[in-house]
Amino acid sequence: MPTLPDLTPFWLSLRVASLATLLIVVVGVPLALMLARGRFVGKGLLGGLLLLPLVLPPTVLGYGLLVLLSRRSPLGLWLEQTWGVQLVFNWVGAVIASSVAAVPMFLIPARSAFESVDPALEDAARLLGRGEWSVFVSVTVPLAWRGLIAGVVLAFARALGDFGATLMVAGDIPGRTQTASLAIYDAVQVGDTPRAGLLTLLVASISIVALLIAQRTTGDRSKP
Amino acid sequence: MNLAFEANLSWSPPGSHLKIDVSLRLGAECGILFGASGVGKSSILRLIAGLERPHQGRVRLGDETLFDSTTGVDRPLRHRRIGLIFQDDLLFPHLDVAQNLRFGLKGWGRVEADRRVAEVADLCGVGPLMGRRPETLSGGERQRVGLARALAPRPRLLLCDEPVSALDMAARDVLIDRIRAVQRAEQIPVLYVTHSPSEAISLGSRLFRLEGGKVIDEGPPLDVLARASGVAMEGVHNRFGATVESQGEKGGETILRLDGGPKLIVPSLDRPVGSSVVVRVRADDILLARGSISGLSARNVLPGTVERVIGSGSGSEAEVLVRTGEVAWIVSVVTPAIQALGLCVGVSVEIIIKARSCHVAADDDR
Repeated sequence: MPTLPDLTPFWLSLRVASLATLLIVVVGVPLALMLARGRFVGKGLLGGLLLLPLVLPPTVLGYGLLVLLSRRSPLGLWLEQTWGVQLVFNWVGAVIASSVAAVPMFLIPARSAFESVDPALEDAARLLGRGEWSVFVSVTVPLAWRGLIAGVVLAFARALGDFGATLMVAGDIPGRTQTASLAIYDAVQVGDTPRAGLLTLLVASISIVALLIAQRTTGDRSKP
Repeated sequence: MNLAFEANLSWSPPGSHLKIDVSLRLGAECGILFGASGVGKSSILRLIAGLERPHQGRVRLGDETLFDSTTGVDRPLRHRRIGLIFQDDLLFPHLDVAQNLRFGLKGWGRVEADRRVAEVADLCGVGPLMGRRPETLSGGERQRVGLARALAPRPRLLLCDEPVSALDMAARDVLIDRIRAVQRAEQIPVLYVTHSPSEAISLGSRLFRLEGGKVIDEGPPLDVLARASGVAMEGVHNRFGATVESQGEKGGETILRLDGGPKLIVPSLDRPVGSSVVVRVRADDILLARGSISGLSARNVLPGTVERVIGSGSGSEAEVLVRTGEVAWIVSVVTPAIQALGLCVGVSVEIIIKARSCHVAADDDR
């Protein structure tokens, strides 16, 4: 009886991509809102910087993060000495790397979703006695939710498929930092076709479902 | 409760040559900000509401200061308790009518909120629309929901920014009638922006005429408009709330009872007896006669008394205010007719209106 290929990389990928998506939402919502509504010096520059991961080669992005987060950098040193956290060659590093690689996939639709909400509706809510948080939760988000969901789904799919940045920052340690994308590459290198095929099928299925969800969410505008 | 409203505002919109510098005072009545587009009417409402910040000035509502540039007081929007209805209704598209009405009642007890929603829904004629989504409503219905929503949290001042400008005539009649009813019921100051003399006269008890960001004249609407050269008074409408009293025996006509006033015969209406409607008659569709006349085809001949004669700025035309019961009619006549008929205050006249000149609208007209 053939043994089932080890699915650890797939489960690790799901965990990394889920946590990366969570991180992207927590950081990305205020950023998208700031870019959509804020009026401040350097807004264009910030908007451009946040889209850089989209155009940089993944290895370049990964190397940048490696330099920034390694023990030899002030940030890496501080993280290790103060919090005992080592991000490099650790699955948490994979979360950070795939978050940075995927953040533009969330920011682009989220920003445009926030921009499409008429600010006059938010003013109407303020005049009806609502504070800023309440306006955001009860008017802005319900009117922007399509773009936000599309951003979440696309960012998740991008984080799930990340290769270069994750490899540079977290390495390729089987059972610890080897995500599905890395495992597929390794399997192909050693000629383990069934393992490469199964992991490809799993990752591709999830990515296709994510794409369908994104399309459905942004496509059907008949219901608010 | 002292709900007098007072504002002194000085402001220039960014990138504009306009300099707003106005002083407004209003009791619990309907004030009109009147003027052509670009004179700063809507900006003044935004400044009062707190959507823009005046460079200098003061806004007081009752005993409370909402804004004062000298003391640095600037109450946030959510604490101002000012209702605003817009040209574009700005209903929340993701909420149904009931949820829109309830939006401003966060923190109210359930029973109290239910009662208030029912009250404003009734006042604005939106009761039958409660479960509907905004996109399924007509323009007039949407604006009435907007009015009810603004009113629900019991604002101390209601601002209306040309709310009827996008509506057809029938929907305008209904909304104007509702705003009038709201002002009476809630006894709050209402500040209404318009460039239509007809709306100004139908609604206002005090009119501020604006030019270049400044108030150049103020007083009772008819007087101010009559003094204004260049304001076309033709097309002024009389608008009254009324009730269907009976259907004519021979068909072809319906008899209305104007609120606090006489009966009026109008073309046949498919509405049950007792239903509320709004009737509109153009001021220049009404004839005046001295003494009793007979043999007229016009269906309405109402006895009345001249209350005022107001000469218009251009001099060729005048507005005569004629009272029949509690209803005061504005009648446009040419100046020579005033002299020929000897129209002056206290003179008895007959008002003559063709049934066909009476335009009737109701809440459910879409």
